[in-house]
Amino acid sequence: MAQESNVVIDHGKSQWSDLWKKEDFLAIWLGFIIIAVCILAYTSYGPKAEFAEKIAAANQIQEAELAKAPFKTIAWHKAQDAKSKLKGSSSSFGKFASHWTKTPGSWKTNPLDSLIRSEAQAKALNEKGMAKYEEAKAKLETALAAAMSAEEAAAGASFQDQGLNDEATAKISEWRAANKAAGDAKKKVENKAYNYIPTLIGLCIFIALIFGAGIALMGKSAPAFLQGFIIVFLVAVLAYILGGQAISKQYGFGAEAWGVLLGMVIANTVGTPKWVLPACEVEFFIKTGLVLLGAEVLFNKIVAIGTPGIFVAWVVTPVVLVCTYIFGQTVLKMPSKTLNIVISADMSVCGTSAAIATAAACRAKKEELTLSIGLSLVFTAIMMIAMPAFIKAVGIPEILGGAWMGGTIDSTGAVAAAGAFLGQKAMYVAATIKMIQNVMIGVTAFCVAVYWVTKVEATDAGHTVGVGEIWHRFPKFVLGFIAASIIFSILDQNMGKDLGGAIVDQGIVRGGTRLLRGWFFALSFAAIGLSTNFRELAKYFKGGKPLILYVCGQSLNLVLTLAMAYIMFYVVFPEITAKI
Amino acid sequence: MTEKSLSVRLRNFALVLGSALAFVYIFLPLLTTSCGILNRMSVYLDNNGIDPTRYYYTDVAQVKEGEDYLRFALEEK
Repeated sequence: MAQESNVVIDHGKSQWSDLWKKEDFLAIWLGFIIIAVCILAYTSYGPKAEFAEKIAAANQIQEAELAKAPFKTIAWHKAQDAKSKLKGSSSSFGKFASHWTKTPGSWKTNPLDSLIRSEAQAKALNEKGMAKYEEAKAKLETALAAAMSAEEAAAGASFQDQGLNDEATAKISEWRAANKAAGDAKKKVENKAYNYIPTLIGLCIFIALIFGAGIALMGKSAPAFLQGFIIVFLVAVLAYILGGQAISKQYGFGAEAWGVLLGMVIANTVGTPKWVLPACEVEFFIKTGLVLLGAEVLFNKIVAIGTPGIFVAWVVTPVVLVCTYIFGQTVLKMPSKTLNIVISADMSVCGTSAAIATAAACRAKKEELTLSIGLSLVFTAIMMIAMPAFIKAVGIPEILGGAWMGGTIDSTGAVAAAGAFLGQKAMYVAATIKMIQNVMIGVTAFCVAVYWVTKVEATDAGHTVGVGEIWHRFPKFVLGFIAASIIFSILDQNMGKDLGGAIVDQGIVRGGTRLLRGWFFALSFAAIGLSTNFRELAKYFKGGKPLILYVCGQSLNLVLTLAMAYIMFYVVFPEITAKI
Repeated sequence: MTEKSLSVRLRNFALVLGSALAFVYIFLPLLTTSCGILNRMSVYLDNNGIDPTRYYYTDVAQVKEGEDYLRFALEEK
């Protein structure tokens, strides 16, 4: 995105000094330093070897159990539970990282609950959930006893009696459901006291210093940045607090939305103080956040639900994106191509994260990103409620309904919510389809960047551009984003599903890069709000074209996704659907 | 164009922010409690710890659950 209202195209040549002076490269270095620290902490200095041993032991048990019985036995599931408990984030580095990057928590009536919880409050919350937990535990014990009895009966017949095997499978399924319910109930009695104020202060200092160093290398004033950063960070913290309220969360108004809103309210009423503006480094925050997000774009995830998932998420999505963009240019005649592509990507791929990546790749204006995300939030809230109700009302099967919602509702959290309202299997399918779509962000950002630099900007300039100019104009941070994605995809693939899950997913990512990524995006949205003139934003609403574009594009998305999901899950691969 | 005085700007700030807060913290809760389906949704989300504001899959615990469930379901012969 452009810092100023007008996009500035730099006609200067690329130089070696760009590597330590230009924002894109500094975002890459900063992002990769964080990634490298996390990788070292969880692999060389972390629990990798210990986890590998435990996983090997659990796998041995599982292999033996599978050889013994034609169904997954209790011992098999217990070994699986043991593997699932292995999380890199429970190591000392993980606890350290999690502690120092904590965001304000959830609250219902008192916003201070998001920052401080006393021992007495924690105890009261735990007591409130204790009765349900005791009940769930009792049910779990009963279900386990029944499952053990049924399995013993099946084992007594050497697993040759189909009736006994089916009975054992059913009882084990009931035990698994009771186990999940007990696990959910247990979370309600594990509340601890906390005080996030000291850690927020520490985090503010840390982030200020790392970005301040980058600002200094860019030749800008680090003291000016540091001075204003306190306010930007404060707005981000307030945004997290406002977005942590239960009802606000329910309708999808999280920290990002509140950051923009709060920032804009300040900027357009009392006015953002001039000394704060040097800290509104929207692009720097976003680009660094995107490099970290690259670590979460794992290409091996796209096969999570087999070929149907690939078709629904990776075939329909680019078709909708391209068709919507062409519609916007040729029919609606959108005045801004960047706004068009950002809305198209936001709506067709996966909402906010796709909008951020696409906006940065094509250097869209921050007002365009704000508008796109605003549209997405409103429609996400509507679709999250309306779609499950519609699916139930017309009797669409759970798997089909889940795939439909996963491919159309923009944000992953809203997809999980909508899927859960429909049923557990719908939620699993919906969330997995959305995960596969999330992975498309990397490809989308790269393709948009290439297309913009080689075609759009060249057409606007009225002449073809050479390789040197293409390289000069190319948003380099996209390379860092893609590189992080490739490195982590290879790392995850090489470690295997279990160790990769424990070390990469639950360690390096969830216990490292993701924690800072979330903060960098929150800071960027606060900075966007603080530096946005509402009149500038209102200009983009003119004629209602963005709204029409979103509605038309989403309508196409709904039709195509439903059609593809039906064809894939019920016509071409019904055997996959039957297994789910 | 004359710049507005501090008191006017502060008043505007209070009005706009107050309106936004009133919409989210007064109107939406009233709407939620008065509409059956929205109320049930609120209770369900609270009980299951699902956060609709999260936009990427690594932020949503249910994605991991779904991935694991589908992996084992599809591995079945």
